[in-house]
Amino acid sequence: MTWLVWRQYRAQGAAALALLAAFAAVLVVSGLQIARQWHSVAAACTAHAAGASGCFDVSLGGSHAQLLIGLSTIVPAVLGFLWGAPLVAQEVETGTVNFAWTQSITRTRWLSVKAGWLLLAAALWGGAIGALATWWSGPRNALYQEQFQPGHFDIQGIVPIGYAVFATALGVAAGAVLRRTLVAIAVTIGGFTAVRLLISLVVRPHYLAAVTAYYKPMAGYSPPGSAWVVSEGVIDKHGHVYVGDAAALVNGVPVTAVPASCRSLLYAGPDTLTRTHLQQAVSCMQAGGFRGFTTYQPASHYWPFQGIETGIFLALAAGLLAVTFAVVRNRDA
Amino acid sequence: MSAVIETQDLSKRYRRVTALSDCSVTVPESRICALIGPNGAGKTTLLRLLAGLARPTGGAVSVLGGAPRQDPAFLAEIGYLAQEIPLYRRLTAEDHIRAGAHLNPRWDGESARSRLRELNIALDRPVGTLSGGQRAQVALGLTLAKRPRVLLLDEPVAALDPLARRHFLGTLTAAVAEAGGELTVVLSSHLIADLERVCDHIILLTGSHVQLCGDIDALLAEHKVLVGPRKDTSSLERTHQVVHTVRTARQVTMLVRLNGSVLDPAYEASEVDLEELVLGYMGASATPAYAHLAAVGEDQ
Repeated sequence: MTWLVWRQYRAQGAAALALLAAFAAVLVVSGLQIARQWHSVAAACTAHAAGASGCFDVSLGGSHAQLLIGLSTIVPAVLGFLWGAPLVAQEVETGTVNFAWTQSITRTRWLSVKAGWLLLAAALWGGAIGALATWWSGPRNALYQEQFQPGHFDIQGIVPIGYAVFATALGVAAGAVLRRTLVAIAVTIGGFTAVRLLISLVVRPHYLAAVTAYYKPMAGYSPPGSAWVVSEGVIDKHGHVYVGDAAALVNGVPVTAVPASCRSLLYAGPDTLTRTHLQQAVSCMQAGGFRGFTTYQPASHYWPFQGIETGIFLALAAGLLAVTFAVVRNRDA
Repeated sequence: MSAVIETQDLSKRYRRVTALSDCSVTVPESRICALIGPNGAGKTTLLRLLAGLARPTGGAVSVLGGAPRQDPAFLAEIGYLAQEIPLYRRLTAEDHIRAGAHLNPRWDGESARSRLRELNIALDRPVGTLSGGQRAQVALGLTLAKRPRVLLLDEPVAALDPLARRHFLGTLTAAVAEAGGELTVVLSSHLIADLERVCDHIILLTGSHVQLCGDIDALLAEHKVLVGPRKDTSSLERTHQVVHTVRTARQVTMLVRLNGSVLDPAYEASEVDLEELVLGYMGASATPAYAHLAAVGEDQ
């Protein structure tokens, strides 16, 4: 069976390898350039205090490279619909299951070998792209400490392996259940995008308990290292939280929520809001029990989060594979 | 073991349609059985149930003494060739032969190669570039290379021109002779003339029901066409089974399954051939599909 899989997929495998090589070449060139740039600014940065504004003005890599690295986000989905979706569906569509399933091997064996090699290839592909992206991001991580941020977290470390395996398993399952390659491709892309968004936006912030720091409103707070700020804003003495609303607010608090006594301080002077007035209003709020807060996942949670997220996607992939096996074994050819 | 294939009230329902209902047939060992019926009669369904590619919704099916199942030992005994000649279009015949060697316990790749070489079929070209007849030969070669004991062929010659059809059936009969009574074949087709040449057993399906199942020679001997004056036929029908009747102004022609001999000298009895037998039963079954099959028969 392995021989047939190899013969069937060697052209696709070679194409994938060529694509990986091209992607790697571009990333290596860009990565080396970033590293040189990093060395030249590193001295300047350490001369100032750590994280001094001069460092952040440097754009490491430029926009082309960032676009390119962003592309690696969709690599798993591409693997899912290119390799996963046709695995069963195409053989059903072309009728070759009638050949494959009447040889002297069980369907279970047929699927194990085929899906096994493909998932391994997907894991290697995802891992290779992830490793490249991690290496490429090294200087940027050192400078911007951004590896925990959504969009950066997703392309580095080990999570790309989980995504690639999940997307491929989703494609295989969709193809086995729906038996039409095109429909399976659509479901794979849609399903992968939906699950990724759901996990990263809704589930990920809660993998481990977050840490919250409180401070004087307006003072601001930067958690140490590459922490991931989940939310920040202002909380009043009744525990009411004000976040985000950028329009008409005083340090995150809508102007309407600023106590009337403090609000008058804002407009004491001329039309424009001066810094002095703002500070007076903030002090007034602090006296009234307002506190600034920053809820974040500390940098030490980075690898646990990588592990948990990878585990979730591998578990989802295992569930999808179980469905695929049941369908292939029990449904008529 | 005498009956290699045996089904008992075998039924297959899909969501809305009944593809096969209460089908009871027997095929003894070493027979070449013709599976005949109009489109949609259930031929493909029956073959797929026998091959274990589909599961029955009712009744029982036994092939080589057990229900068809996903088990390497059972699958090794079955050669199945689907109507659409399923091969990997981008792979060559040689690729398929080598894959078969990896997938089957007793694989005779060498005889498949030499058979294809004799027919001047390129082993090193993607099968997608071969003609329909050549592809069918490759597929048959692969099916035979498995050295199966039961060969299930679904309309393998339907798409072939007469010469390719002759080659194909030649390969098939040679393989059966080579197997020396160890091979049982079920072959479905529209083309009664082709089947008559190679088959010694018949299953006739119409509208998902079995009309006829048995040894061809015995069935031909049992049936007669009676031609006589147009008169009351009820006394005849009491003793014999009248399968199909055509009345003209002066005389009546009947296909009859005899029960003993016909004593009434008013009727002139004559032998039937397979085609008359089959068409008679299809007419008797009075399904709309009959008209279609008759038209197909005339085309070819």
